[in-house]
Amino acid sequence: MENPLHHFELHPLVHLTLLGFDISINKAILAMWAGLAAVFILFMIVVRGGLSLVPGKIQSLGEISVDFIRDMVNEYIGADGMKFFPFIATLFFFILACNLVGLIPGSYTLTSQLAVTGAFAGAIFILTLIVGFARHGLHFLSILVPPGIPKVLIPLMVPIEIISQLARPISLSVRLFANMTAGHTVLGVLFALATATALWIGWMPFGFTILINGLEMFIAFIQAYIFTTLTCVYIGDVIKLH
Amino acid sequence: MPQLEQTSVFASLIFWSFVSFGLLFFLLRKYAFPPLLEILEEREKKIRGDIQGAENLKLEAQTIKQSLERELGAAHERAATIIQMAADESKRIQEKTIQETQARMKQLQKDAEQEIQASRNKLFGEIRGYTAALTISSTEKILRKVIGEGDRKRLADEAIEEALREIGRSKSA
Repeated sequence: MENPLHHFELHPLVHLTLLGFDISINKAILAMWAGLAAVFILFMIVVRGGLSLVPGKIQSLGEISVDFIRDMVNEYIGADGMKFFPFIATLFFFILACNLVGLIPGSYTLTSQLAVTGAFAGAIFILTLIVGFARHGLHFLSILVPPGIPKVLIPLMVPIEIISQLARPISLSVRLFANMTAGHTVLGVLFALATATALWIGWMPFGFTILINGLEMFIAFIQAYIFTTLTCVYIGDVIKLH
Repeated sequence: MPQLEQTSVFASLIFWSFVSFGLLFFLLRKYAFPPLLEILEEREKKIRGDIQGAENLKLEAQTIKQSLERELGAAHERAATIIQMAADESKRIQEKTIQETQARMKQLQKDAEQEIQASRNKLFGEIRGYTAALTISSTEKILRKVIGEGDRKRLADEAIEEALREIGRSKSA
């Protein structure tokens, strides 16, 4: 039976280099482009020909998704949240598209790469630092001192808070990576079982594959939602400072 | 685990992820989000306006209702006053009619009594006349039967003599 982690391997399809870095196009990048193209095309279908006050089915779908993210932004970031709306919404649809497109057999889930989820989580962490310092100056460092604690505990709390802040991008990236990897590994194992065994027993893992695929679609939404929500929470934290 | 071992693809994955994310961000921010957010805000504004309009209409309706209730109360009072006045007038007319009827009845009674009295007097007069005539007639008939031929002659003679004496007394005087 094939190694279930084998399908996570990537091989260059088009060799490219930039400033000495290998930026070759591989299956993961093609899958990501396919997902993002689908997102953009869907939105273009929604907005083409103008929008009406009484929405149709397609318009309702677009409005619900945008309204859902707008509510999230307003809830966690607050009054200034709408400045971050395009970024948050794009992040949600980017992760969702990458998660979902990986469920197509033969495709690839970009978010099952820790390098990608880590890069995004790190970028979000840096963004929160920039927003925090830009908004509050050095007072932003007070985020390391939880409100209401005795002064004697500050030397203890500051290192703990620094670790807590640094753990955020790690947990954010590992959560998404682990969920996507685990889901696809389970699917890979079940599908390999289905193809490796005789038909009289092989239908069972194949049936499970279908069930797990449905569950993975749900997880794809949930993980995109969690990643985006936590991003909003982190941005909201640095704006509100506790 | 290939995701941790294939470090050669990291640069490519991170680079194209950020580039693609940036491109998607630009495209959605420019073409997709503004019209969708605009229509959502427009609808919210319209709904808010409609709700405000409905609230205003509700307040207006309440004001009209209160005004109508006041007018209805006043109309009830006016109606009660009119009914009271009508009842008073009716009572007054009724009393007046009773008084007039009683006066007329008394007058009619009086007239009837006078008429009855006159009729009785007239009747009594006629009865007296008839009675006198009947009495005279009956007396005559009785006298005619009671007084015989000889008496009638003697009475006639006495009457004649009486008459003659009378004449003689008047001549001598």
